[in-house]
Amino acid sequence: MDASRNLYAILGIPPEATQEDIREAYRVAARRFHPDANPNEGADIQFRDIAAAYEILGNSRQRVRYDTSRRKYRDEPNYFTLRVTPSKRVLNALDEPQVIYLLLEIVPMRHDTQQQTKEARLNLVLVLDRSTSMKGMRLDKVKIAGRQIIEQLSPDDVLSVVSFSDRADVLIPSAPVTDKAGLRTMVSMMRADGGTEIYHGLKAGVDQCRRYLGPRLVNHVILLTDGRTFGDEDQCLELADKANKEGIGISAMGIGEEWNDAFLDSLASRTGGASAYINSPAAVVGFLNDRVRSLGSAFGERMRLSTAPDADVSLESVFKLQPSPQPVEISPQPIPIGSLEFSRPISVLLQMQMPPSARTGFRTVARLDVTGDILGIERQGYKVLSDISVEIARDPTPEEPPMAILDALGKLTLYRMQQKAEAAATSGNVVEATRRLENLATRLLAAGQEDLAQMAIVEARRVSKTHMLSEEGRKTLKFGTRRLLALPEPGAED
Amino acid sequence: MRTCPYCAHDNREGVLFCEECGHPFVGEREVLATSKLIDADQANFQGRVTWGTARFDRGSSIVIHVRDHETPVVLEAKDEILVGRSDTNTGLLPDLDLGSYGGAEQGVSRRHAFIRRGEDTLTLVDLGSTNGTHLNGQRLIPNQPRVLRDGDEIRLGKLALHIFFK
Repeated sequence: MDASRNLYAILGIPPEATQEDIREAYRVAARRFHPDANPNEGADIQFRDIAAAYEILGNSRQRVRYDTSRRKYRDEPNYFTLRVTPSKRVLNALDEPQVIYLLLEIVPMRHDTQQQTKEARLNLVLVLDRSTSMKGMRLDKVKIAGRQIIEQLSPDDVLSVVSFSDRADVLIPSAPVTDKAGLRTMVSMMRADGGTEIYHGLKAGVDQCRRYLGPRLVNHVILLTDGRTFGDEDQCLELADKANKEGIGISAMGIGEEWNDAFLDSLASRTGGASAYINSPAAVVGFLNDRVRSLGSAFGERMRLSTAPDADVSLESVFKLQPSPQPVEISPQPIPIGSLEFSRPISVLLQMQMPPSARTGFRTVARLDVTGDILGIERQGYKVLSDISVEIARDPTPEEPPMAILDALGKLTLYRMQQKAEAAATSGNVVEATRRLENLATRLLAAGQEDLAQMAIVEARRVSKTHMLSEEGRKTLKFGTRRLLALPEPGAED
Repeated sequence: MRTCPYCAHDNREGVLFCEECGHPFVGEREVLATSKLIDADQANFQGRVTWGTARFDRGSSIVIHVRDHETPVVLEAKDEILVGRSDTNTGLLPDLDLGSYGGAEQGVSRRHAFIRRGEDTLTLVDLGSTNGTHLNGQRLIPNQPRVLRDGDEIRLGKLALHIFFK
């Protein structure tokens, strides 16, 4: 019997609960999450867990067996906890829908018994674009970055380097990083030639990653490209979904103006990776090194968030703020959210809509559920869940929203305004696009972001004249506003 | 519904920045979209529920405001404060006795939760209570301590209280 899951927590009861308590807890939970009662995506995942927990705990013989096998987990420390801060703790009873935000922080809990200084072991694949357009500065910087990454790695890590243009070459097959000098030479031999077909490169990269795939490793593919791939994007996304299921993350970095940012975002979002825009070749080195460093400080890996709003509540958006700001697709669930670093929480902002409500009192809003593999010890599928509730009252005391939410949301609003302006421009709605860009410029100025504000004004003029945004302006605004969301380094609090 | 004073767009209640033009709605005053411009004093002005620091200095005391009760309870901080309600049969007397605040009717267990003092923080631990402990709306998992912040809302069963550091 698999006793690694805390079935009591899934039913929300203490281990001393009576059989009657268990039945009652099951009834309450089933009413909340049964697919017939709750159409929300994510509710079915919770219901499956609840039903499975009840099957065991609801049967006294099985419960005894479970309790016996569970003993070895009794002293298991908490590897991470969830801290949830709502935008409001008391909602006004209104006959109209209202919005509530939840800031979810997944906080790593370090324990003395674990080796804390040891960095995570990487199973890393670099997939590097060597198409003709990479010739010169770009490829030179990529080579420097590649050599520096080799320097960062240790013989415990596994590295492969794949270069691609319209075909893929496995420059360095997956192997432990022992002969650093040899590997550096291999990277230096890359020559620019040919077009850009990402699928070939990505496929070869994922295949290399599979050779050392393991639950105790950070299995990650970093794709770096400066071009747009034609006709094979869907294949790439399919491959990303497959990679995600196998436990491989993909990060995607674009250099210059040509590449398709929505596509690279989607690759990253589907696998819990990161995506970034690199506007100058010189910045490549820093970006790649940072990414590898972040992966190397993983404490938990393959973190997944599942959100189950109550039947009458709906989840509208999820945005990952930390470790790197990243839009997250809310479907399918569970949502991959990447690795949990040793010293930094993952923070995620969720936006939900609450239904009109005349009834006052306490009510549940959603259940959040995070699972992940704890590296360094063999603990896979460690799960923490949390039920969120609010109070509904008539004319409650006004409540200042928590600063962390205000701050994040203020910046997220800028990013969303840019996204809406872009959507308006794409659909040919020039008046709307211009207005949105002008509004964005106003807000950016108010936030002290003069360069971005200037860019927004230039693009607003351009749209009104040419009916189009420039690729450079569009990407600078998109990734510039996204970068504003990067939280300052953790302070003294907590 | 909330109409934006800047662009007249109708936003849903609870939205904190206009979804059309990004205008901030917070309080009666304008808050800029960057935290460094908001100083802590301003955010702590009276009459509002606030979100405070997690730092709890040695020698501080704890002030508990039970919902709908005028007089706060001041507790001297010690390593472990039992929160619950007294039981004359067993002679149990918790450090914070919520019996006189209608604890029994509101679903407070006799041994409901601990407030523990750490290095420079306070933590709250649910002791497997029947009706659960909520911290700012988040239900606590029994026996898993959580750091408390100045101004946090704690709910034991249906009894809500606020904790302040002093």
